Amino acid sequence: MNWSDIWVLYRRELRSAFRDRTIVMNGILVPVFMYPIMMWVMMTGLMFVLGQMERESSRLVILDPPSEHSALVDTLGAQTNLEIQEDVLSEDSAMVLLRAGDLDALVEFLPPTDEGSALEDNFQVLIRYDRAVGRSSQASARVESTIADYRSEWLSQQASALGIPETEHEQFQIVQDNVSTEEDIGTLLMGMMIPMFLVLMIAMGCLMPAIDSTAGERERSTWETLMTVSASRLSVVTSKYFYVATLGILAGVLNVVAMFASMGVIMGPLLMDLGESANAFQFSLPFLALPVMIVAAIALALFFAAAMMILAAFARTFKDGQAMVGPVFLLAMMPILMGQQTDQTLTPLTAAIPVANAAMMIRDAINGVFLWPLIAETLAVLLAMVTACLLIARVLLKTEDFILLSPDGRFSKFSKIFKSSSRSRLGRNSSEGLK
Amino acid sequence: MSPKRSDNTSVLGTLFRCEIKRLMRDARVLLISVFAPLVIVPGYILVMQWIGNSEEQRLEDTVYEYALSGDEAEWGLEIVSAALALEANDPDTSQAVVRFERQQVTNTDSLLQAGEIHLVIEALSPEAYERSRAEEIAADTLDPEEDEVAPEIEEGSDGGTAPELQLPIIRLRFRGNSDFSRRAHDRLDARIREVRSELRDSVYLAGGFPVGREEFASVETENTASAEKEGGALLGMALTPFLLLLMLSGGSIMAVDAITGEKERGTLETLLTSAASRSEIVAAKQMGIIAVGVVVVVINVLNLLAYLVLGLLELPENLAVALSLLDLVLILILFLPLTVLISSTLLLISGYAKSYKEYQIYFLPLFLVFLVPSLAGILPGLDLRSAIALVPIAGVGVAVREIMVGEYDWLFLAIAFASTAGASWWASRLTQRTLLTERLISSSDLDEADLLGGPALFPRHVLRWFVGMWVVFFLTAIWVGGELTLQGQIILNLGVIFLGGSLLMVRRYGLDPRKVFALRPVHPAVLLAVLVGIPAAYLTGIGLSTLVDAYLFPVPQSVLEAFGEVLLDDEIPLWQLVFFICVMPGILEELAFRGVLLHGLRKTWSPVIVCLVTGGIFGLFHVDLFRLIPTAYLGVIFAAVVLLTGSIFPVMLWHFGNNAIALVPQRMGWVTEETVFPEWVFAIAFVALLIVFWIIWKVSTPYPDLKKTRPREFS
Amino acid sequence: MAIANVKVEGLQKSFWDESRGEVRAVDGIDFDCQPGEVFGLLGANGAGKTTTLRMLATILKPTGGSASLNGYDVLADPEAVRRSLGFYSASTALYPRLTGRETLEFFARINGYPANQVNQRVEELIDRFGIREYAGARVGKLSSGMRQKISIARTIVHDPPILIFDEPTVGLDVMAALEMQNVIHELRDEGKVIIFSTHIMSEAEKLCDRIGIIHQGRILALGTLEEHRQATGKHYLEDVFVHEVMQAEDQSAKAMASPGEPRTSL
Repeated sequence: MNWSDIWVLYRRELRSAFRDRTIVMNGILVPVFMYPIMMWVMMTGLMFVLGQMERESSRLVILDPPSEHSALVDTLGAQTNLEIQEDVLSEDSAMVLLRAGDLDALVEFLPPTDEGSALEDNFQVLIRYDRAVGRSSQASARVESTIADYRSEWLSQQASALGIPETEHEQFQIVQDNVSTEEDIGTLLMGMMIPMFLVLMIAMGCLMPAIDSTAGERERSTWETLMTVSASRLSVVTSKYFYVATLGILAGVLNVVAMFASMGVIMGPLLMDLGESANAFQFSLPFLALPVMIVAAIALALFFAAAMMILAAFARTFKDGQAMVGPVFLLAMMPILMGQQTDQTLTPLTAAIPVANAAMMIRDAINGVFLWPLIAETLAVLLAMVTACLLIARVLLKTEDFILLSPDGRFSKFSKIFKSSSRSRLGRNSSEGLK
Repeated sequence: MSPKRSDNTSVLGTLFRCEIKRLMRDARVLLISVFAPLVIVPGYILVMQWIGNSEEQRLEDTVYEYALSGDEAEWGLEIVSAALALEANDPDTSQAVVRFERQQVTNTDSLLQAGEIHLVIEALSPEAYERSRAEEIAADTLDPEEDEVAPEIEEGSDGGTAPELQLPIIRLRFRGNSDFSRRAHDRLDARIREVRSELRDSVYLAGGFPVGREEFASVETENTASAEKEGGALLGMALTPFLLLLMLSGGSIMAVDAITGEKERGTLETLLTSAASRSEIVAAKQMGIIAVGVVVVVINVLNLLAYLVLGLLELPENLAVALSLLDLVLILILFLPLTVLISSTLLLISGYAKSYKEYQIYFLPLFLVFLVPSLAGILPGLDLRSAIALVPIAGVGVAVREIMVGEYDWLFLAIAFASTAGASWWASRLTQRTLLTERLISSSDLDEADLLGGPALFPRHVLRWFVGMWVVFFLTAIWVGGELTLQGQIILNLGVIFLGGSLLMVRRYGLDPRKVFALRPVHPAVLLAVLVGIPAAYLTGIGLSTLVDAYLFPVPQSVLEAFGEVLLDDEIPLWQLVFFICVMPGILEELAFRGVLLHGLRKTWSPVIVCLVTGGIFGLFHVDLFRLIPTAYLGVIFAAVVLLTGSIFPVMLWHFGNNAIALVPQRMGWVTEETVFPEWVFAIAFVALLIVFWIIWKVSTPYPDLKKTRPREFS
Repeated sequence: MAIANVKVEGLQKSFWDESRGEVRAVDGIDFDCQPGEVFGLLGANGAGKTTTLRMLATILKPTGGSASLNGYDVLADPEAVRRSLGFYSASTALYPRLTGRETLEFFARINGYPANQVNQRVEELIDRFGIREYAGARVGKLSSGMRQKISIARTIVHDPPILIFDEPTVGLDVMAALEMQNVIHELRDEGKVIIFSTHIMSEAEKLCDRIGIIHQGRILALGTLEEHRQATGKHYLEDVFVHEVMQAEDQSAKAMASPGEPRTSL
């Protein structure tokens, strides 16, 4: 291997890559433009739905309201998002309306239960609604919360009437105190999402170049040209390999950065819904996390590039290559499996599973956990996989069949190649035909 | 001796059989794209279930450690012991009992942070609580970085706590980013509430209240929905996206080969010289895509059923679906245009792409563009009786859900059907056009403009520049928008992004600023007309937004209020507001949109389309949905004026005037949010606007160098 | 029914270029051909040969003039035109995943050959071109020579009265090109109308009954080889061609009306 050759070849690969529309689009333009646009669409959709729901008033029928508690009915009537239909007077007709979707909830006042009957003027409320219909569930919830408010107010009035001091009837107060800061929550979310996206995006970034530089070269018949240059075959392949890995890292990093740059819009309101009083999506990364993430990204890119190129090299056309590489892509989905565990860190066992271990390592780093021996194990496992791939590549490059003829991409034929690498066949030109 | 032409169906059949035969022989692609997922997906599901279960097991097995502190610790212990007793003796066996263990420690907070204990319970007297709050607030101001999530004082569904009450406090401290800590907190919190409720009951009973507090005005809910209806709602949500996903990925296997592949192999020309007509070819290929898509859907549904039988997947309990024949037919009818839309769109990108690689570029965005609207059915609040019925795909998504639930409106079903069918018809038309050989042959990658660069290249790049500017605009709004004052935001957006972008383009392509910005003198009558046009267009705009708000996009009240607050902000003096909201947009937004953008697009489309596109882009730069249509409307008017007068000065005046009219009266309190104009005002304004345009038309000095009209034979 | 012939009158093709406006690739061409005749279009690359032939095959729409094949107008009835036409060019490839026999069957059917005679016709062609041995193998696996034979068989499978060969010998070796020429002779003897384009002089000399020299979208001279020789006083077709082209260049230089090089044909 001649490193200066590799460098020259590598630069050529990169230069032509940046002139390739597919690679530039997928790797750079899609992340930079698509995510903000997607986020905008989601935000707009959210706004549209919010506007619709807010505008939608719940249609109610109230039957047999107790005269002693007319205040409750008045409160219900005063609410702008409740629309009480006065003209429906019987349970049956209300149920018909409810079933037809012309009514959202039927509120019926009933005599109290046996346990509650000791209280004078007591009543119970039966709310009938249709859980399968969104606005009906909403109507039920609106009525329920109004009644709950009324109940607690009425009870404290009763308490003061009975002479129970307020401190007595309230007993004590419960305070929720989440000691996690907004940044902690942000970090938690980042820890779950970054590894997932980084792995996926590095794999995506490697995909096109890996196929293009193997099967694509075959299709364009430039493969043979390359094999005739004076640099050794191993140098040629090594330079290609570094180039694929470079693009993988580039795409991975760009995607993750762009995605999180535009994520804030959605995360803010979502966190707010989760009850965290966060205005914006915040997070902080431990100082050491960045280098660890970079190392992990490099190791992942080296691994994906090697695995994909080996497979794609068996294909004759770009499309074939894509089909062959598919299975590697499934490996990239692995980190999704670990999404559910918040408190898990790298263990000697998980560190031995390729791809998943790197994802775990990135998550640990984001959470500020650095288990150095396990990080070393992770990297060792990944690099061992890379070495294995390179060894296979080396064997392949020694077989003439592999260089000259593309064996229809059939695996059965390839198994023969390994057996009979000495037996050379007359190369059948792959670009034959009338075309 | 010309042979008789056999009828259309047999040609179609021959073409279709050939397509399918060719696909079936591509064994490896089929194997990997259709059958591999069938094997791998269950594997993933199994592993995920296993991990999920083991995580659940871990949560159950853990003995949760808590610490008790505070000046009322003894009282606290009583409460907690009562709560734990409730938990340990829970008669409900459906939930596993959570075990707790007390740790006698002092440095509670650091242990909690380190994860050594899961929960800290502080029992505090009111005074002690006040003290600790005060300390925390002081610490916060010292160290603003550590903005802890403020403790939530409960507001009461069952408490009605008055904040001035001096009550003892139980404070539960936990770590929200740990599942374990959260679970410990959630369970203990619920139990302590039960204890408190019992205590309150006893107090009431002792005071003479005859029944338990909960017995008063007890609420019971009854769900009238049948199991079938709920099952329908559940299934109806997922059906459209599920089908779409499978159709898209399945159809794509076929589509990529259908035109792109034929182009790449050179067989397309062979096919085009045969006697089959273009529409027959397109139809056969579409049928092929639909057939493959449907087969993939069937395979996957069967597969899903197999998982269910094997117990790999579990259905929600009591899931039942009952569909009448009519419903089924309706759903199939609604899916019909959807499948045609999918197939023709896939075929369309296959027609546009010159190679497999290029097809891949288009496929991913297409995938998202289809998937996102199909998710509309999942949003529970969305009703088909709204603008959503007009959105292709989304309308079908919601319609299918409503049919499965059993509540639907024929008119809106028809609209949803028509919108999607219209889109699919349009896509089919476009696809047939991609088969015109002119496009295949004459679209070389490189042409004169690429070689010459400069102004010739500018029209082709101008939209890219604006997409770039939009992205920058959007991202800065997210990340720094909140921290800037109004002035800062406007300077950043208008001064830096719009003006900077415009000047960069002028520089980059060596454009003549006078031409780009349309700095031309104008007929004095136009300026007079504009003065009338300002209020006319403004009032018409209000009328339009009222219509939009009522019928298309209802705006959440909170958003409207937030926007109004900016205008009413008393801290900014009026002259500054006028400068930042009226003068700067009047000049800078016009230079960017009616200057650079319009100049760039002037030759791309016919003038009417150019107006609409410029207006639409202008609207998108206002980001919010509810400002989109009103601003787009103004954008269209401004673009039209520039095209008619060939000058940017009238619209600068108009824009300034429009913003001033929006700002000043409201700021001075002459009108408020509640001011309602009678309808005849809008009508008069609209007529006035038409007259203004008529005057401008009469004295028009059109924008030079517009699109050459293409002779008929080229279209 | 009209006799099988080709009439071309004032045929024009202009492309629309956003920056340059109209570009004329074919600028008013007239010729006609009779059954049993090989008509040759001779011209340099980019002269407008392929564009002309593509218009005759209705792949492109003419922007002016008219052309009719077998009595059908290319604009009014393109499908009927294509039915009476076999088109062969270097860019009409075959489906690699169909077998030779399936290919022939497919094209016979979509070109409207009577369904009950398709099999008979296909077998006949398989014998005629001697491809029985590999008619059942997928086209993608055959050598280029084998594919060429299938491709020619594909062109004539629906027995069209008119055949168009657009530079059919490009990229073929000597033997294959000879084979192609033989086929063209045979077809002429069967009474087909054959239109043939090339930029190889010897081929045109040998094959064509009449030759049209095409340059920058116009036919400069049209006639039998003998007529060309008499008109220019040159013996070899190559010299005739150069003479005509130089003359045309001179004229256009004088007229200063050069609309620019047509760049649209392949």
